[in-house]
Amino acid sequence: MQYFKKSAYLFLLPTIIGLLLFRLIPVIFAFFTSFTDWDIYSPPVWIGLENYTRIFQSGEFWQILRNTLLFTAIYTVGVCIIGLFFAMLLNQRLKGIKFFRSLFFLPVITSIVAVGIIWNWILSPQNGILNILLDKIFNLQEPISWLGDPDYALIALALVYIWKSVGYQMLIFLAGLQNIPTELQEAAQMDGANKWKVFTKVTLPLLTPTIFFVLVITIIESFHTFGITHSMTQGGPYNATNTLSYFIYQNAFVHFNMGYASSLSFVLFILILVITWINFLYRKKWVNY
Amino acid sequence: MKTRRSTKIIIYLFLLLYSITTLFPFLWMVAASFKTSGAIFEIPPKLIPDLLFKEGMWSNYIEVLTEHNFLKYLGNSLFISTVASLGQLLTCSLAAFAFARMEFKGKNIIFAVLIAMMMIPVEVTIIPEFLMFSSINWLNTYLPLIVPSLLVGSFGTFMLREFYQSIPSSLVDAAIMDGAKPFQIYRRIFLPLSKAPLATLFIIAFMNNWNDILRPVLYINSPEKRTVTLGLTEFQSLYSTDWNLLLTASVIAIIPMIIIFIVAQKYIIEGMVNSGIKG
Repeated sequence: MQYFKKSAYLFLLPTIIGLLLFRLIPVIFAFFTSFTDWDIYSPPVWIGLENYTRIFQSGEFWQILRNTLLFTAIYTVGVCIIGLFFAMLLNQRLKGIKFFRSLFFLPVITSIVAVGIIWNWILSPQNGILNILLDKIFNLQEPISWLGDPDYALIALALVYIWKSVGYQMLIFLAGLQNIPTELQEAAQMDGANKWKVFTKVTLPLLTPTIFFVLVITIIESFHTFGITHSMTQGGPYNATNTLSYFIYQNAFVHFNMGYASSLSFVLFILILVITWINFLYRKKWVNY
Repeated sequence: MKTRRSTKIIIYLFLLLYSITTLFPFLWMVAASFKTSGAIFEIPPKLIPDLLFKEGMWSNYIEVLTEHNFLKYLGNSLFISTVASLGQLLTCSLAAFAFARMEFKGKNIIFAVLIAMMMIPVEVTIIPEFLMFSSINWLNTYLPLIVPSLLVGSFGTFMLREFYQSIPSSLVDAAIMDGAKPFQIYRRIFLPLSKAPLATLFIIAFMNNWNDILRPVLYINSPEKRTVTLGLTEFQSLYSTDWNLLLTASVIAIIPMIIIFIVAQKYIIEGMVNSGIKG
């Protein structure tokens, strides 16, 4: 549509002002900080690429990068599948469905402090509900310390994150599903398609813009872990649940290594940028507009 | 679509199982708000609180609301979140309309920058942002909590753009033929059609503002200007935590979110009924 050109900038004015003041300028500032050694109290000292070489030479960084990617994989797959599955169920016209929709959204709005307390207790090796249940079903030799054992901690933490935020993706999927006119699905059914066919041939293709959106958002979100990590494991045991964003927080606001933290955030930024760029690159292959 | 009885039962079964996991922590929190501090971590945990229907049942609530001034904090948070979220709906829908339906120079670049900025961790931008707000004397006001979130809604713009792209162009073409101005098309066609995504976005924006902790910690000093999330930290100190008060305050902090969710859900359903024209 080529009808109105100039007024577009008026529509965009608030966004552009906001982007400049609260994103671009701070980011440029942080970019320069990443080449300095700065502890906030004394003025920054220019050290060139030293922060970056330090990152890539440290074993800690590679371990945390591996954690981050593993977390992203578990979280994204979990949230998308569980979110879509329950959105489909919540999209049915059944009695009490509104009630369930509200229930499923509860974890999203529950404060992180409360989520941390209660999941710590559910996953605890002493009298934790999960261990009690598993023992009843499988007769465990000894209780599993879900958050204390480096083999399980990251997965356990990822599951808590999925539980906490999936209601949000569910809501977006639901809004997308409700934008699909039921006539199309009914027509397909009249033509003799079974439910599975209707889902794969009609619903799913029409939902691809929503799925794409959720995928992009969820992957980005998965790289910004903070609250639950902070209230449950603080990155431990032995960095087993430490991810890049939490590592940045530790460096910036615990150790006050602003320069190092800034350079880490640019590494994280490039990582997310590349993944999102790949996402957009492959969009045309599977998203219908 | 008709649903068979057996399918219905299976659906309800899944819904019930999952709601147990979402409801349980919430119920535990509500139960804890009617307990004395010693009774919260009893093992095995009791679901029936020790203060329920006894004298002092509401003592935690009274203490949180009056002695800890939570009534005031609720008002502050409500004001900040409402202004910021409504503002964000306006900014995002305007920008999304331009991105989805208009042609202009630099469109792809501006959109790419918008999305790219979404990926920058907030820890990076918060220090320069703080220095900026302190230089224009906005510290200890609500402006730093409202203005950035009101002006930059990358997520919301992206989300609404996806919805606006799916509105059939035949509708827009007809309006253009009738001589409608872009703003009229936005106001009369796109806004009414996007009630469902707008309501969704409002819930999300309100929640993000409501739960934000980093900015209130940095910018608010006066006790009477505190937000609810900041108030929650009052119960945790280095040496001890008043768990019963903390959990009571957490319940109070959730109630406005639940109300917003229930109200906004009505529009999500309405949106479903109205959007039959798509396709």
